[in-house]
Amino acid sequence: MATITCKDFLDRLESWMEGDVHSDSQAHLRNCPNCRSLVEDLKAIRSEARTWRAEETEPPAHVWTSLRSRLEQEGLIREIHPAEATKATWFGGWFAALPRPALAGAYLTLLIAGAFALSRPMNRQSNEALWRSASQDSTMPLRAQLIAEQNSFGSFNNANPAVNASLNQNLAIVDNYIALCEKSVQEEPQNEVARDYLYQAYQQKADLLAQMTERGENNR
Amino acid sequence: MSASHFVRKQFTWNVSWKAAALLVPGLLICGMASATPPPRRQEQHFKVDAHPVVTIHNPNGMITVKAWTKSEVMVISTRASDYVEVDAEQMGNRVDVSTHAAADNVAPDDMRADYQINVPEDAELQIHDDSGEVNVANVLGDMNVETVAAGVDLEDSAGYVTIKTVGGSFQCTRCAGKLEIASISGNLRLTDIHSFHVHAQTSTGNILFSGEFLPNGIYRLKNYSGVIEVRFSPADSFDLSATSLKGKVINEATLTPKSHQQHFYSRFGNSLFGTFNAGRAKVELTSFDGTINILKRD
Repeated sequence: MATITCKDFLDRLESWMEGDVHSDSQAHLRNCPNCRSLVEDLKAIRSEARTWRAEETEPPAHVWTSLRSRLEQEGLIREIHPAEATKATWFGGWFAALPRPALAGAYLTLLIAGAFALSRPMNRQSNEALWRSASQDSTMPLRAQLIAEQNSFGSFNNANPAVNASLNQNLAIVDNYIALCEKSVQEEPQNEVARDYLYQAYQQKADLLAQMTERGENNR
Repeated sequence: MSASHFVRKQFTWNVSWKAAALLVPGLLICGMASATPPPRRQEQHFKVDAHPVVTIHNPNGMITVKAWTKSEVMVISTRASDYVEVDAEQMGNRVDVSTHAAADNVAPDDMRADYQINVPEDAELQIHDDSGEVNVANVLGDMNVETVAAGVDLEDSAGYVTIKTVGGSFQCTRCAGKLEIASISGNLRLTDIHSFHVHAQTSTGNILFSGEFLPNGIYRLKNYSGVIEVRFSPADSFDLSATSLKGKVINEATLTPKSHQQHFYSRFGNSLFGTFNAGRAKVELTSFDGTINILKRD
């Protein structure tokens, strides 16, 4: 049986997660610990998302729509074919269940998926080309999305001054960290270390925004 | 009015007054009792089976958890004010402890609750404490601790430990099992470690690792800035990769260069790759702008 590559498998990941299981994908999964680990993680995230309380407010639909379009632009996920557009995808299905306080948890998921895709050796060439071809680094849309989300809840003000100070101070640290990493990536687009750090910084920012959103809402 | 009717009426009045005399103070006492808030210091005990799960959610305060030999969980809570309530309840083999406000707009200092909790040593812990301090000693079960500003101090653990802080520092002494620690600006101090899996990451904090590198163990320490310091003994055996993109790598270990292909990180920054003794453990140290010190243990 012809086996497929990791890239082929990732292209089919969405349909795989919806239960559309091909034998060559199965064969690949049996032999590839990285892809197997990714699938297990995604299943665990989906399972966890389903257990979140239904009464919590859902995130605004535009957030996921926008994020999806950004990730599609970056080539991290594929576009929906018109025939598929009418049915709920695993991607949308999961995030529709996410409560608002877990907003950046979902961001985190997306970013981890992005970082995973970009950090894999098979994607190195194409990603370097992506980063090189752009006049700015390819994470710019993600950064813009995070900034928009940050602005959407205004200034964070928790009743506990220690928590307030810590979250705001660390958000400033992460913003500075992102700026420095972006500068390094722009100077050396092929630098894997700088790119790893940049994605890690985005993950941290997403995580912080989730914590601030959650604590802000609990405080209201 | 007949004599018997008069006597009966008098008797009825007498009984009514007597009843009222008894009832009114009783009601007053009951009313006072229900209006009196519970004492600020409470002690509760919960019988549990093997491997109980204990969850603690506390927005502000000190949490001290210690293992003991009894098959029960003891929760001693001390509330800072009557504006904060403490709930401790048992669901099967799980004990949930949480602090919540009893009124709107409670001042932060009034929201504080401190806990002293004793658990069986095989208990699994899940602790959320935004600010204050978390101290855990001698608990061998798995634990997950998440804080914002609270520091976490762990002693003599043996399970799968995951720690996540925003700005809180983390200190771990004589910890075994599996350690995964993530922080943004907290310092991470790992001493006398006997763990086969350590993954510690902080952005601007320092990381200190002083412990054994166990055969087949994996030790990944990563920060953005700050210092990563690893202390090794002559008997240790590890395969080392250390990279600081913009900082220094200072090494006191005599390494044998690797014969096989080097890590792709070696193309960037200041890198060091090699094997110390037989290279049984894997040590990966990565920093963006910080200094990496690989020093001999005293």
